[in-house]
Amino acid sequence: MIKFNNVTKIYENITALRNVSFSIEKGEFVYITGPSGAGKTTLLKLIYLAEKPDSGDISIAGWDFNALKEKAVPYLRRNIGVVFQDFKLLNNKTVYENIAIALRIRGFKDKEIKERVYDALKLVNLRHKSDNYPPTLSGGEQQRATIARAIVGEPTILIADEPTGNLDADNTAGIMKIFKEIHAKGTTVLFATHNRNLFRHTGMRVLRLDSGNLVADEIG
Amino acid sequence: MNYSFKIAIKSLWHERWINLLSILSIAVGLFILGFVILVLYNVETLTRGAPEKFTVTLFLKKDVTDSKAKGLLRKIKKNEIVKSVKYISKTEAFEELKQSLKDAAYILEGIDENPLFPSIEIKLKEKSFDKDTIEKFIASLKKDKRVDEVIYGQQLLGTIHEIYKSVKILTIIVGLLFCTAIAFVCYSTVKILFYRKKEEIEVYKLLGATKGFIRSPFIFEGILVGMLGGILASAGNLVLFNLLKGMSNPSVPLLKGVILPEELILSLPLAGLLLGLVGSTIALGKIKY
Repeated sequence: MIKFNNVTKIYENITALRNVSFSIEKGEFVYITGPSGAGKTTLLKLIYLAEKPDSGDISIAGWDFNALKEKAVPYLRRNIGVVFQDFKLLNNKTVYENIAIALRIRGFKDKEIKERVYDALKLVNLRHKSDNYPPTLSGGEQQRATIARAIVGEPTILIADEPTGNLDADNTAGIMKIFKEIHAKGTTVLFATHNRNLFRHTGMRVLRLDSGNLVADEIG
Repeated sequence: MNYSFKIAIKSLWHERWINLLSILSIAVGLFILGFVILVLYNVETLTRGAPEKFTVTLFLKKDVTDSKAKGLLRKIKKNEIVKSVKYISKTEAFEELKQSLKDAAYILEGIDENPLFPSIEIKLKEKSFDKDTIEKFIASLKKDKRVDEVIYGQQLLGTIHEIYKSVKILTIIVGLLFCTAIAFVCYSTVKILFYRKKEEIEVYKLLGATKGFIRSPFIFEGILVGMLGGILASAGNLVLFNLLKGMSNPSVPLLKGVILPEELILSLPLAGLLLGLVGSTIALGKIKY
């Protein structure tokens, strides 16, 4: 499903990722961990094509990035749901509209959009806040709205960049429950976190990064 | 498409002040352009109508008989730029002269023989205005053995030709200048709106939006802004035209004949629409993922 082969990414003389190779199968739940600046966000950005590697090969769901034409980029991105570290919610749109936009982009009709958005909101327990604007939501609620937007298009891969970074224990537990439910439906999940407690004793796969190097591929 | 249009309408209202300013700027630009075209159109109509009033007189040789003159008359009639021809025989010419000099009949006393020449008066068609065509026609008349002399308003023809040419050039220059200015207003408006929504657009891109999805609301907005400006300009020209017509009185008879072409009223919103499309397309440039 996801293959990295000797991938290197350099930002102005700083190597964010160095010769990283790994492979993730369909339906896996993989934690990506490491200290700040280890390269977790860069790795995720490379997957959803927000960045391009300086060398190496990446392929996602059979799409070879080196041979990928520019016009195919949006169609590949539609296969990947992203929960951004900074949410990236649009403050001038309601929670409903923020989630619906992911479907409008895909050309869904209004009736189907409504059904799918409410299903996604129900899953993240935010149905009652559908008409609210993001600035009126708590951090946990904003995070859940972002998750709803990421999953509403039923992507085959779900990427989350520190989704529990700023949340308290209760909210974190709630978010983790949602991710497990999504994974149970067969979605491949990549979950970046520096919080070891989230993957300790879970029996899930953990990719550990340090200074841009993949230092461990282990079971948590 | 439908969603993009809705977004454009929403944005039109949400960013109403910048859009209103742009609509008014475009309206003023198109109004002035429309007015210039209106003036130039009327000048052109006047000059185009001139050949109809433009008469070519052929003086035939004295020995040309009536039957020979009528043969020439038939030949002239066949020319497509000729509207009408009138043959004036020597006798008719002399009778006309007598009529016009009836208060001073002594002038003609002692003249036994008709000294006048037979002549042909030619009127040209309104749409035949083309200096070269008319001059070619006159040259062919001069070559005819039956013709003694050709008299026509050579200077008038030259002047009309110059006015006509100047009007054409002026219309093109003014049109290009104003169209560029209006397209620039649309360009600036869409560029500002695009920058204001830069973050939103980045999110759309990351969610998998195509370039068409990103572009279309801005294109629609540019088109709407341009078209609304054009509608206002048309309304303005219509009001001005009626005011001018209303001002018409015996001391200013020229205003009575002013024509407002329907095409102008319809073409200003269309011009706004097209310039909005051009301006916004250029403003969006190349979108990169």
